[in-house]
Amino acid sequence: MHIVDILQQWSENNAFFIWLRESPSVFAYPMVFFIHTLGLIFTAGASVIVDARLLGAARQLPIAPLARYFTAIWIGITLTVLTGVVMLGSDIQTKLHNRLFLPKMLCVVVAIAMTVALRSRIASTRPETFVSPLVRAFAAASLICWLGAIVFGKFGVYF
Amino acid sequence: MCKTIHYFGIAGLAGIVGLLDLRIFGVAKALPLRPLQRLMPWAVVSFLVAAASGWVLLRIAPGNSLGPPVNIAFAAKMLFLVLIGLNDILYFATGLKRQVDTVGAGENTSASAKIVAGVSIALWIGVVYWSRVLTFLAGAI
Repeated sequence: MHIVDILQQWSENNAFFIWLRESPSVFAYPMVFFIHTLGLIFTAGASVIVDARLLGAARQLPIAPLARYFTAIWIGITLTVLTGVVMLGSDIQTKLHNRLFLPKMLCVVVAIAMTVALRSRIASTRPETFVSPLVRAFAAASLICWLGAIVFGKFGVYF
Repeated sequence: MCKTIHYFGIAGLAGIVGLLDLRIFGVAKALPLRPLQRLMPWAVVSFLVAAASGWVLLRIAPGNSLGPPVNIAFAAKMLFLVLIGLNDILYFATGLKRQVDTVGAGENTSASAKIVAGVSIALWIGVVYWSRVLTFLAGAI
């Protein structure tokens, strides 16, 4: 039996996922969806603004202090990933068979990797407004991937 | 496509509002507030993008929000947006914005600025919440 089928069978019989799928309460699926959206919007939004600064926008902003925002960004990423896993668990087959699910996940994984790569580099930026070509490349990749995650996430509804 | 544009607008807005409100609360204190507040026109542009695409979405499927009966979550979302507008007017009209402009690197903002930033964060979280409940009540989740 395929691993996806095993997981699907497990989630179909799991009391938590049954409640999540079938409860009409706004504290069931809508609450998980809300936290997922909130985490994603803040994470993507804050990352996009930091990326835009690294790519040359708002040059009056010093760069090194922006590293302090990454704790909040990581809280957003954690909330998004945890609730994302719960939403995936509630309907594995449908989500995995969506043609835009894997591109979305690829975007998210690369964007998170870029977040990791950027944090230490931003914190050690000296002088405070200098941005190396490597950091610019990471910022561009992060920007494209966060926007890509939104595009694939939204268009995924139709595939 | 409209939903994607709506989300792009929201992401830009959430990014700027989030970073600014967090700085007012003391996160990334080494950032001076004046240059951060100069991003506000971009937040307005992001809001207009979100509002215009939101208007188109409303026209495409008015029944989801306007009913009849009116979707309670849609009404609550609009109410929260109005409250955000009033909070912003308060921020500018009372001179708080000018006061915050003078807060330099490493300095703390006033308690009133923190209250306005806290209300702003709470109301924006509320807007996202009502947006999700809206789709749930409309059966479009």
